[in-house]
Amino acid sequence: MQFLTPLFFALAALAIPIILLYMLKLRRKQVQVSSTFLWEQLLREQQANTPWQKLKRNLLLILQLLILAALIFALARPALQIPTVASGSVIVLLDASASMNATDVTPSRFDSAKDSVDAIINGLNPASSLTLILVGETPQILIASESDKSLLKAALNQAKVTQGSADWEAAFALAAGATRSDSIESTVLIVSDGGLPENGLPALPGEVEFLPIGSSNDNLAISALALRATETTPQLFSQVTNYSDVTKTVLLSFYFGDELFDARQLTIAANSSESITLDDIQNTAGVYKAQISNPQKNQKLDSLPIDDTAFAVYQSSASRRVLLVSKGNLFLEQALASLPNIQAFRALPAADGSLQIPKDPFDLYIFDGIVPAKIPNGNLLFISPVDNPYFTIGTAFEQINSAEVIENPLTRYLDWSNVHILKAKKIQTPDWAETLVQAEGGPLVFAGQTNGQRIASINFDLRESDLPLQIAFPILFSNLTNYLVPPSAFDATQSLSPGQSLAIVPPPGTQQIVIASPSNIGYNIPNEAGGIKFTNTNELGYYAVNFISKDKSSAEYFAVNLFDAAESDIRPRDSIQIGQTEITHTVTEKIGQYEVWPWLTMLAIIILMIEWQVYHRRQLLPKRVVS
Amino acid sequence: MLFDESTLRKLNQLTLVASRVRAGAIKGERRSSRRGSSIEFADYRDYTPGDDLRRLDWNIYARLEKPFIKLLEEEEDLAVHILLDGSLSMNWGADEELKFNYVRRLAAGLGSIALSSGDLLTVGFLQGGQVAAEFGPTRGGVAMPRLFRFLENLEPAGQTDLNKSIQQYSIKPRRAGLVILISDLLTATGFESGMRAMLGRGSEAVLVHVLSPDELEPPLAGDLQLVDMETNQVQDVSLDGGLRRQYRARIQTWIQSTQDDCRKQNIRYLNLITDKPWDQALLLEMRRAGVVK
Repeated sequence: MQFLTPLFFALAALAIPIILLYMLKLRRKQVQVSSTFLWEQLLREQQANTPWQKLKRNLLLILQLLILAALIFALARPALQIPTVASGSVIVLLDASASMNATDVTPSRFDSAKDSVDAIINGLNPASSLTLILVGETPQILIASESDKSLLKAALNQAKVTQGSADWEAAFALAAGATRSDSIESTVLIVSDGGLPENGLPALPGEVEFLPIGSSNDNLAISALALRATETTPQLFSQVTNYSDVTKTVLLSFYFGDELFDARQLTIAANSSESITLDDIQNTAGVYKAQISNPQKNQKLDSLPIDDTAFAVYQSSASRRVLLVSKGNLFLEQALASLPNIQAFRALPAADGSLQIPKDPFDLYIFDGIVPAKIPNGNLLFISPVDNPYFTIGTAFEQINSAEVIENPLTRYLDWSNVHILKAKKIQTPDWAETLVQAEGGPLVFAGQTNGQRIASINFDLRESDLPLQIAFPILFSNLTNYLVPPSAFDATQSLSPGQSLAIVPPPGTQQIVIASPSNIGYNIPNEAGGIKFTNTNELGYYAVNFISKDKSSAEYFAVNLFDAAESDIRPRDSIQIGQTEITHTVTEKIGQYEVWPWLTMLAIIILMIEWQVYHRRQLLPKRVVS
Repeated sequence: MLFDESTLRKLNQLTLVASRVRAGAIKGERRSSRRGSSIEFADYRDYTPGDDLRRLDWNIYARLEKPFIKLLEEEEDLAVHILLDGSLSMNWGADEELKFNYVRRLAAGLGSIALSSGDLLTVGFLQGGQVAAEFGPTRGGVAMPRLFRFLENLEPAGQTDLNKSIQQYSIKPRRAGLVILISDLLTATGFESGMRAMLGRGSEAVLVHVLSPDELEPPLAGDLQLVDMETNQVQDVSLDGGLRRQYRARIQTWIQSTQDDCRKQNIRYLNLITDKPWDQALLLEMRRAGVVK
C-alpha cells in the first residue's frame, strides 16, 4: 500500500476547526419553557451516567471526523500493488472480429477480452497512458493516450464486437502511429483469439505482447453456399466445414424463404469439409437459407453460432433473354454480344420468308426490318419498322440533315453530329412515345410504353447509315436495351462479406431506396444519378432492397455471409507471428497499482448519509400523543 | 376573553347541577356539635322560658303534657378555600391549553358550585411568597359576577413560593373547610409544609395538579438552550429520542411521587391536563376524586 498524493494528509488539520466549532458548541437555539425545573433534575441524573452517553451526544462530531478521514484518505490516493501485464504507454489492440463472438469462454470471448482490458485499466499506473484500438473491418481508435481510468472504461464500454473479419494491417498501422507519437517507451498489447494473418504483418516499434483469449476450437461452419443458374433449374451448392478436432455429425437444413424444403445429416471428419449440391430446386427468385444444427434437438452445436447459417439469393432475371429477329445483321449481333447480362438468341426467317417465333417468352424482341404475323406480347425494338399494330408507317424521306437529339435519359451521352443517314421512314411518333432523335423530315428514333409493353423504334435501316460505325451506336443501343429490359439493380449471385460495399443501380424512376438489414434496421437512401453505394453490410444475413418510385415499389435481396476460414477457425493460438518474431502468451511480470479511492469516497458518502439521518432524528419533533 | 359566552353557559349549567351536587363532601362526615334551625331532628330538651314557641313539640306536649323543645341539627355551611398558583409558569400552553385560563375557569366552576350551594367561598391568589389578592369570604349566588370579575383581573407573574404563601394564607383566622390548591407545582420549593399548616387547622385538602400537554411531551428537538420563563435560568440540552424518553419517564415519576406524598398526608390528588375540557374535568374527574359529589 502506498499513497500517491500524501500531501493531502495535511488536510487532516481541518479536523481542528471541526472540533473547535464543536467545542464552542456554536449557538444553541434558545427556547422558552414553562420551567427548567424537571430538565435540571433530569440532566443531573444523566451526568452521573456512563461515558457512553457522552459519546452518544458527540456522535455527530465523531461521524463528521470519520467523513473527513475517509475523504482525506481518498485524496491521498492509496494504491495497492497488483501484478499487471503492461505499464507505461500501453496500446491495446482489441480484436472485434467475428470469431470473438465465440462462447467457449463465458459469456463470450469478446466480453472476456473486455474484462482483461478492464483489469489492465485498473492496474494502470498514474503515469501510464493507454490507447485503445478496436480491430474490426475498419479499425477504430476508441481512445488515445488517456490516463483517466473512468474515460478509459467509458471508451471500453463502447466497444462492440462485429460479425466480420478484422483488418490487422490497418490496426497495426494505427498502433505504429500511436507508438511513434509517444516519447516514452510503449507496449503494444494484442488481445485476440489469434486469428491474425500468418504473415505480412509489419513489425511494431516497442514491446509487443499477446494476451490470448479462447479455450476451444469447437466450431462448424457453412463455408460456402451458392446458386448457379443452369439451362434448366438452378443448382444450390453448399459446403460445411468442421474446424474441431473430432468428427461431428450435423443436420444441414435448407429453406426457401422460411419454408424448409430439404435436410440432410452429414458426418464430417475433424478438420475437413463436406459438400452437397441440390439440383432440382425451383426456378423462382428468392432467398435460400442453409443452417446447420445439432441432430439432437435443443443441443448446442458449437461455440460460434454466427457461421452456422448462410443465405443465398437467386435472381431469375439476372440474365436478360433477347431474341433478335433479323435476316442477318452483324452490327446488331455484335452490339448484343457486348452488352453484359444479356443472353441473345437469333431467329432467321425460313427460305420461304415465313417466320417462326419460339414459344418461350423473351424479355426483349428485336425486329430488324421484318415482323412476324403475330407479334408476341413483350418488349419490342423495331429497326426500320414495317407494318405493325402499334404505329403506321409512311413513305421514306431523305431530309435527314440537322438531326436533333432531344434531351432524355435515353439519349444521355449521345452524340449524333457525325451520323449520316441515307433515308428514313416517315413515322408519326405515337401519343404514348417520346421522340428521341428528330430530323427535319420526321422523327428518327422514339420510345415509349403502351399497355405495359415498352416499345422503341429506330426508323431507318442501319445498313443505310453510318450509325453503326459511330460511337453513338453502342450508346444508343445500350440505353435502349436497358430501357426495354432493365437490368437488375445489383448482382446478388455472389454473397458479400461483412463490411463489403455493394453498388446499386436502381431501376429508372426510383426516388427512394429503403434497405432493411437482417436485424430490421432500415436505411433510407435517396436515389442518386448513377446509383448508390451501400456500405452498412456489417450484419450477417440477407438484406431487402426496396426501390420506391412514384407509383410502385419493388424489392430485391442480397446476402451477407461470413465464409471466412480465418474467422470460423476459432482454434485459440498460443503465439502470433509479427514481422520476424514470434510472440507467445504474456506472463504477468509488471507491477500495477490498484487505487482504492472510489471505495473510500463511497464510504464517506455512506457515513454522510448516516450523519444526516442521525442529525434529522435529533431534529425530529415528537408526535403529540393523543390522549 | 376568559368568560366568554360558552364558558358562562357551562358555568350556568354547573350551578344548576350544583344544587344536586352539593359541594359538601365534608358536611355529611362532619356533623356539627351545635344545634341549629334546620329541619333535621336531633334531640329534645326541656322548655325554658324564652325559647321559641315555634320549636315546641306540640305533639309531645299533648301526650305528656310537658313542654319539650325540639332540637334540630344545625346545617353547617362549608368553608371552601380555593388557592390559585399565580406564578408565571402558569401562563404556559398553547391557546386553548393555556394553563392559567384553564385554572381560572376551573376556579370559577368550583366557586360557582360553592356559591350556589350556599357555602362560604374564599379565593386566594398566591404570588411570590404571599397572598397577592383575595376574594371573599362571601356566600350566595349574587356574588358570582364579582367572582368572575376577580378571576378575570388576575395576572400571573414571577415565582411563587407555595409553602410560604399558603402559610401566609393560613395566618389569617379562617374557618376550617375544604382547601383546593390549584397549581402546576413547577417550583423547586414544594408545597407540603404549607398544606400541612392548612390541614393542621382541621381542613381537608385537595391538590389539583394542572399541566399542559407541552410539558408532558415537549415539542423540542436538537441542541437547545432552554430558558425558564420564571427565573430566566438557562439549561443546555441536546434533545434526541433517548433524552426525550428519559424526560417522559422522569415527569411520570414526578407525578407519581407527588401523588404518593399527597396520599401520605391525606390530601386528595388530581392530575389534570389542559387538553381536556375544563368543565368535563370538573364534572368527571373531580367527582371521581370526590371533590364534588
